[in-house]
Amino acid sequence: MSRVGENLVRTDAAGKLTGEARYTVDYDGKDLLHGSLLRSPLPAGRIKSIATARAESLPGVRCVVTARDVPDTRAGWVLREQPLFARERARYEGEPIAGVVANTPEQAIAAVAAIELDMEAMEAVGDMERALAENAPLVHPEWKSYQPVSGEDYPRHGNIASELVADNDEVDIAFENAALIVEDEFVSSRQYQAYIEPKSAVGIYRDGRYTIHTGHQYPFNVRDRVAQYLDVRPSQVRVIGHSIGGGFGGKLDTGLEPYAAILSKLAGGRPVKLVNNRTEDMLTCPSRENAVIKIRSALDKQGNLLGRELVCHMDNGAYSGEMAFMPSVIFHLAGSVYKVSNIRVIARLVYTNTTPTGAMRGVSGVYFCAMQERHMDNIADKMGVERREYRLNNLVKSGDTLLNGQVLDDADLLRKGFEKMEQVAPWSQLNKQKRPWHGIGIAAGTWITNSMPGSVQLKLNEDGTITVVTAATDNGSGAVSMGITQIVAEHFGLTADDIIVTMPDTDIAGYDGGSQGSRTTHIVGRAAGIAADDLKRMIYDVASDMLEANRDDLEMIDGKVGVVGYPDSRIPLENIALAATWSRGPLSASGSYTPEPVPYNPGCASGMLFPYFPTPTYHVHLAEVEVNPVTGNVRVVRYIVVQEVGRVINPAGVRGQIQGAVAQGIGHALYESLRIRDARYLERTLEAYRLPLAVDIPEVEIITMEHPHALGPFGAKGVGEPAIILAPATIACAVSDALGRPFNRIPITPEDVLEVIVGKEKQR
Amino acid sequence: MELIFKVNGRTEHLELEGHETLLDVLRDDLRLTGTKEGCREGECGACTVLVNGRAVDSCIYAAMAAHDAEVETVEGLAENGRLNPLQTAFAESGGVQCGFCTPGILMMLTALLNKYPQPGREQVRDALSGNICRCTGYSQIEEAVEKYIAQEQDR
Repeated sequence: MSRVGENLVRTDAAGKLTGEARYTVDYDGKDLLHGSLLRSPLPAGRIKSIATARAESLPGVRCVVTARDVPDTRAGWVLREQPLFARERARYEGEPIAGVVANTPEQAIAAVAAIELDMEAMEAVGDMERALAENAPLVHPEWKSYQPVSGEDYPRHGNIASELVADNDEVDIAFENAALIVEDEFVSSRQYQAYIEPKSAVGIYRDGRYTIHTGHQYPFNVRDRVAQYLDVRPSQVRVIGHSIGGGFGGKLDTGLEPYAAILSKLAGGRPVKLVNNRTEDMLTCPSRENAVIKIRSALDKQGNLLGRELVCHMDNGAYSGEMAFMPSVIFHLAGSVYKVSNIRVIARLVYTNTTPTGAMRGVSGVYFCAMQERHMDNIADKMGVERREYRLNNLVKSGDTLLNGQVLDDADLLRKGFEKMEQVAPWSQLNKQKRPWHGIGIAAGTWITNSMPGSVQLKLNEDGTITVVTAATDNGSGAVSMGITQIVAEHFGLTADDIIVTMPDTDIAGYDGGSQGSRTTHIVGRAAGIAADDLKRMIYDVASDMLEANRDDLEMIDGKVGVVGYPDSRIPLENIALAATWSRGPLSASGSYTPEPVPYNPGCASGMLFPYFPTPTYHVHLAEVEVNPVTGNVRVVRYIVVQEVGRVINPAGVRGQIQGAVAQGIGHALYESLRIRDARYLERTLEAYRLPLAVDIPEVEIITMEHPHALGPFGAKGVGEPAIILAPATIACAVSDALGRPFNRIPITPEDVLEVIVGKEKQR
Repeated sequence: MELIFKVNGRTEHLELEGHETLLDVLRDDLRLTGTKEGCREGECGACTVLVNGRAVDSCIYAAMAAHDAEVETVEGLAENGRLNPLQTAFAESGGVQCGFCTPGILMMLTALLNKYPQPGREQVRDALSGNICRCTGYSQIEEAVEKYIAQEQDR
């Protein structure tokens, strides 16, 4: 019986369906105390004084903590720039200034309200344009003193938090010789991850160590960040995972964890729980960055792309998190889909006095693809060429290289994707069937499988089951509850019921790079395969003694080991485990994996660089939309995804990832936006922030292209993200087609649509 | 103030101040933590429970309003320690991902199916308009309902 490729029920389904699953917010105990944070009411302000005496005197209050009471450190994923509590100044609305511990949540909230904070407003740098103006105040006047975590600094200056430049003089020559130059500007707004479980954390300080309970995508990042903030060694921090109520990149860096840890210590070591209310969560979540991209292409008479220039400005907010790396995503993507002879990329991450942004599912790729696909439509239009045909004529091919010199071995899969799409949705036929207020879009994209390392330990239990010890997290994707479980089951011919996967615990499991970049099934699945091979070798050694047979003659079938050709000889794993335990000791094996680096040209760009674009996958999307000319509403009536997946481990799981990613992409394309006015979010509740509902989302038609990867577990590559990177692109192209006018922004709201319909120019 | 009500068939007596929400009473006083809080403003539906068979957002429902009522939560769905047919259909259809919206969605659909045993897909979508799922994109939830209906017919 095969376990790979089957719709096995996820192992955590029953707990989640009965209410038994424990999320961090469900953590309880007799000695539990409750915390709350005082957050900056101003996007930029000088802290003149904080008086805590009144708050401290309130009933039930255990302690009130400010920057005075904690180590004077700065922490950060890439750059150590962020204090635990704001000291002299606060840099965004919502930045923590003080914390309270009390017996009940209500008492903690009351005490926060009683802290007397005197702040003087400063000019808030509310947007990138202001930040880059010559006379702009610096968000971080002390930026020069900040230490990069790696020890190696990178291009950054003033309000530019990170800058990547890939220059190429040939680009200028291309523009001089161009028969046609096409320019576009694309504007993308901020998207909130909007996981349904607001962030929470429990901290416990005991025996000189911090233990943190949190449903987090990346427990080892929590360990490292808390250690930076609290000035202890990482091994002094233990992070224990819980069920995660959605993450989508919003739970990759620390949120409440370091506060829960220090508050427990200062309250005498009892557990302290912190829970965001929804508004706090929105005001502090590292949402997908808003961005402005200017693109210019030089074409010859035949429409060949001689040269291209991209200038991308990405809003960093007040602190960098992992964003310092994101300009390099733009750089890699620039050469990943269409063949352009010479490309110049200038990507800048810009500080503003707004909430720090972060890596939401499909980091930076979502708006990059939307920009690129709208630009391709515009070029085709200007050239008078059919837009699908134009894409096909300019696709990168197998053997072509990215801007870093990395060879794309399988890029022909893009063309294959178009062919697969044509089979289910013939392009010319769709175009013939077009009606008024009806539009079609098509888009192509390449995406990564993140290569951060992962590890697994497999223990053969004395009852013949296998425990998988790993810090890999299942943020809901099924990567662990289906992916890793089925991969391990397959290796031993066991059922999913025979596989027990531990929750993450940084004291116990080896390092894991977190549920990000579509990596878990691919990376941790491979690590599990390495461990499984080793454990099987040990099992065969023991079985060979028991069966008095040469180990090369042994086979493992359905959790039993026997001599090939002699089914009666098979002995169950249980017997082998017991025999091993009492003779040579219990059996266990470990596996670790991170892909070999891909050859690339280190001189390809200046700036913080992901050196290469790991394990690429290739995708084509098509959408049909209908525009309501009275309300301006856009309805997605048909959506088709052709996705290259390596190998499908669980069809229902892959489908859930694609359907869910498209839904989030539709949200970003048509509704979702954290609008910023005077450096503050306008949307501060789920009532104001419009999320896609069941009535908004069509059933996505999904065509998976299996192209097994030599090193992936049973060939699997990343699946979680690719479907979101093309959804806004495809819909923006479809809406533009429906109205015959370019929509170079996301979201495209009913207001935007109506303005075009009534012929008014935008007034933004 | 005394609140006497039935929760999942069991009579509960509680002494309340009066301002508590039904959600807080379920989670904090009765330790029924399956019901989730996602927004505390009646927008996301994660806290949906049944009061006398009607689906309500327990985060904005005064606990005292449930006096003498019968309240059903996700913890009351399983039958003799086994998933009930709707829960089973969810598990088999891939209708659960992160699981945080799941209890509310199950309760909303339980109310729908009690009233309309064979709702069409549009009816299911309309019924879920007050329940946000950020993971699944809804299709496999809708299919779970269809699977449940088909299995009930075969029964």
